[in-house]
Amino acid sequence: MTDTYVGKADEANAMETLGVIGKGTPRIDGLDKLTGAAEYVDDMDFGPALLHAAVVESPYGYARIKGIDASKAEALPGVVKVVTGKDFPYTFGMYMKDRYVFAQDVVRFAGEQVAAVIARDARTAKKAASLVEVDYEVMEPLLDPMKALADDAVLIHPDLEDYEHVPWFFPKAGTNIAHWRKTRRGDLEAGFAEADVILEDEYTVPRYAHCAIEPHVVVARLDKAHRLTLWTASQSPYTQRDVFAQALAPLGLSHKDIRVVTPYVGGGFGGKAGVSMEIIGAALATVVPGRPVKVRWTREQEFTNTYQRQGVRARIRLGAKKDGTITALEHDLYWDAGAYVEYGANVVNAAGLSATGPYRVPAVKIDSLCVYTNLPPGGPYRGFGYSEFHFGLESHITRMAQELGMDPVEFRKKNAIVEGDTLAYGEAMNPSGLIEAIDKTAAAIDWGVEETSDDPTKAIGKGLCLFWKAPAMPPNASSASFLKFNEDGSMNITVSGMELGQGYLTVMAQVASEILAVPPEKIRVETPDTDRNPYEWQTVASHVTWSCGNAVAAAALEAREKIYKVVHDARGYEEGSLYLEDEKVKCDTDPDFELPLAEFVVGGIMMPDGTYRGGPIVASGKFMPEFTSALSDPETSQGGHPNVHYTVGAAGVVIEVDRDTGKIHVKKAALAADVGRAINPVLIEGQITGGLLQGLATVLYEDMRFDAQGRLLNPTFTDYKIPTSKDVPDQIIPIIIETPQPDGPFGARGVGEHTMIAAAPVIGDAVADALGVRLKEMPITAERVALAVAGMDD
Amino acid sequence: MTIAHDFAYLRPATVPDALAMLADHRGAMVLAGGTDVVPWLRDDAITPETVVDIKDIAGFDAIDVADGVLRIGPLVTFSDLIASPVAAEHVPALVEASHTVASVGVRNRATVVGNICSAVPSCDAGPPLLVYEAAVEVAGPGGERSIPVLEWFLGPRTQALAEGELVTGITIPLPGAHGGCYAKLSRYRGEDLAQVGVAVLALPGNDYRVAFGAVGPVPFRAPAIEERLAGGGPGDADPAALDALVDEAISPIDDVRASKEYRTHMSRVMLRRSLAAAAARLDGGGPPYGEQVI
Repeated sequence: MTDTYVGKADEANAMETLGVIGKGTPRIDGLDKLTGAAEYVDDMDFGPALLHAAVVESPYGYARIKGIDASKAEALPGVVKVVTGKDFPYTFGMYMKDRYVFAQDVVRFAGEQVAAVIARDARTAKKAASLVEVDYEVMEPLLDPMKALADDAVLIHPDLEDYEHVPWFFPKAGTNIAHWRKTRRGDLEAGFAEADVILEDEYTVPRYAHCAIEPHVVVARLDKAHRLTLWTASQSPYTQRDVFAQALAPLGLSHKDIRVVTPYVGGGFGGKAGVSMEIIGAALATVVPGRPVKVRWTREQEFTNTYQRQGVRARIRLGAKKDGTITALEHDLYWDAGAYVEYGANVVNAAGLSATGPYRVPAVKIDSLCVYTNLPPGGPYRGFGYSEFHFGLESHITRMAQELGMDPVEFRKKNAIVEGDTLAYGEAMNPSGLIEAIDKTAAAIDWGVEETSDDPTKAIGKGLCLFWKAPAMPPNASSASFLKFNEDGSMNITVSGMELGQGYLTVMAQVASEILAVPPEKIRVETPDTDRNPYEWQTVASHVTWSCGNAVAAAALEAREKIYKVVHDARGYEEGSLYLEDEKVKCDTDPDFELPLAEFVVGGIMMPDGTYRGGPIVASGKFMPEFTSALSDPETSQGGHPNVHYTVGAAGVVIEVDRDTGKIHVKKAALAADVGRAINPVLIEGQITGGLLQGLATVLYEDMRFDAQGRLLNPTFTDYKIPTSKDVPDQIIPIIIETPQPDGPFGARGVGEHTMIAAAPVIGDAVADALGVRLKEMPITAERVALAVAGMDD
Repeated sequence: MTIAHDFAYLRPATVPDALAMLADHRGAMVLAGGTDVVPWLRDDAITPETVVDIKDIAGFDAIDVADGVLRIGPLVTFSDLIASPVAAEHVPALVEASHTVASVGVRNRATVVGNICSAVPSCDAGPPLLVYEAAVEVAGPGGERSIPVLEWFLGPRTQALAEGELVTGITIPLPGAHGGCYAKLSRYRGEDLAQVGVAVLALPGNDYRVAFGAVGPVPFRAPAIEERLAGGGPGDADPAALDALVDEAISPIDDVRASKEYRTHMSRVMLRRSLAAAAARLDGGGPPYGEQVI
């Protein structure tokens, strides 16, 4: 039994010729998705017994519920049940139990679920929901985190001190601060005293929505045997099961009673991590036992009641010497975390540990504050806090270079973090190809070569910024896999990571394929069902290629050991002399020996006397990063090892911007990421393209606007713009850097989120380069650019 | 998509049948492409007791020219207009505007007539129809009448159609030789509602027609600007004076799509560029139709 793959990475790395690792293996889910065969939750047929639920939402950001009259809704033919907060007086949450299944006496954001109607069809449910009368006493909402921090601010969660939370959160009772991550290293005052230039400024980043094509949906059924099954569009089947089990424990449900099935998912980007609206489905199923009930979000609900990327106000003070050495950094991050922070507080935490960016900074003071507001719950979004703080930090780094009279790329190279440098929380930096990434990105955009537009109304500008990110995970976040051979030598592998479009299933097949010499097309990797597939924490944090890849590699290595043992037992060859090639076992010492896997991996090997040796080859593997710890000094963050590794890189753009209209056209975008090992370079190029586009959208078009009641003003694609195929840069140049990660499968580390992190600051830099105006608030829309150029901005 | 409330769905085959249904069912909503009506129904923004679908009425999908007049039927979609050689020949600025409406999928359903019946201030068909001096042909209980587009738009989402009336087409007197331009301010290159729309027609003899959309309660012509431009080339007018006339003509609002300041700024920029493009197109040059000037 292979316990863990840690320490075995070298063994995998040492394989001399790699067959499928590093190749652009076609996606194993590709044909199903192209033909429409891939099934999503909303496609599943639950038959005529299926019930539909519609949710009654708060129209106010902050209000007291004085009464709910559901009698008119209940009287409507076809209505099965109306439930309110009285039926489910429970809280839930992933890192902190501060979110309510249904609002109790208070609503804390516009869109919060107050009641739900279960009906025989969706139309009746919608109609009945509009007949539920809720009597509200409207209160003044707190929409600005800076106002929520005031001494006399109303407490959005007066019971904050009673909420259960993970040990690495530090809520401040009697305030709206749900968590305060403090990181301190070195002598800050000495660092600033040593600096020749000190630059201080503020940057603002608004809220954003994930905009996955598939809205959230859950179908839940509590059967007569008290078994709760949920079909969800989720990144996190096991974490969902855990959260459901904890929230519904008062109803007598425990982990073994709950089953979560997650078929293909139409995009996640963090929005389908953890549990948001799915808790409603889980709760409703318990009041209509025996019948499945479906809750399917509209696009508007998708915007208002799942998770949103949190807004942040950043204050940065940076010191550097004339020679370009950074001496000190003070970075304050005030997060607009929303009404519930059960997941979002960990975004705040992650940023608070890493807000130095990928730089060597001897003296650091970071304060990252998670502040409750009466806006929708903040939560995970691709980048997990890093996109947000990089906008200010990278803008500031460029401005500091300019203050020093240095080339911004040279300034970055001088201070770029390298392997062995000390991180802000005291640990050593992992292997990194950051300098190579900078050089290759600079070359790709002809950094240093001035370009002018043929059109006199337009100017050309360039920007180059760095990024880094580590997975933000509990220290014991782990992955597992089961592997079994079939009679024909094909394989079924089960894991519980999610195929979100990133190509995860293909990569898992490639890992097993490489070790077991079975081609990927003979491997099926299935989407999760918690009854069948083994544990996976969640598909977030860009960690599944690394973590679950290690688990699959461990299972494959275990299977290989078993294969060799059978051959040894039956044929007598030394196990150390055997190897796998072309779906056969071969032997170093006997070139004539070869035994196809299909001949024995289930039925075993027949002996001269007609008896058999072996039997079905089945294996399991797991991975847990046993070197991490979230325990550290709450005043300094020193003493722990919260992050497993950082993935680093650089991005650069060449833009053409119209001085009159402010419209920005991205002519070229290059992005280099150090992925350790590109298991599938085609998929990584896809990540780079998609991530850049998503990041460019956040800086060029998107932002969430709220009215004075905290109601979202643009909850549709009419007024919340994500890029179309017409908005793609003229040229995207993906650059793959490979500095192996010693504990990764074949040296791989994560890359999914990283590709969007630098997009916002590079646009800010390129606009400044082209037009001489520095915009310090996202998004950098055509409107903001034009008004700044015309001197009409405020 | 769930529509919660009940309504009767009627599908007449002739104009008289349609008029009879509209007479029998006060407050009925006429349905053509449905790209506005169906989302409104879903959102309960309208709750008609009857929906009258005119898609079966023969001839309503025609674009034709007769007696010096171009006629656009009520079922003509923006995609139909884009594909029409007749439209390209006679009303290229309207075709240019059609290219900017929403997305291909929506343009395949959305009708030009429906666009001006919905009458939102940002409607893309409004400014070009104003500069082409189109008329809206209407049939109703009192017979037929022709409403000049100049008198059509009464306010945001309000037009001159009376209870029981049905639009039977849009007519445009053939403008003869001209250069046209429709410029649309949108937040990105994908589908968007205009934050500013500017239509310009340059006619021989330095005669200009100018209309704006999305910077007032209705799309409107700008006679003071036209007067200032008359007789000279587009470059002859003092830019500051032209800007001042733009500021007087428009009454933009601040909303989630754009600020008043940006709408003002862009109205000036877009007028300048549209005038230049229209004048150049009149002379056989300028950017090809469909290429946005901003």
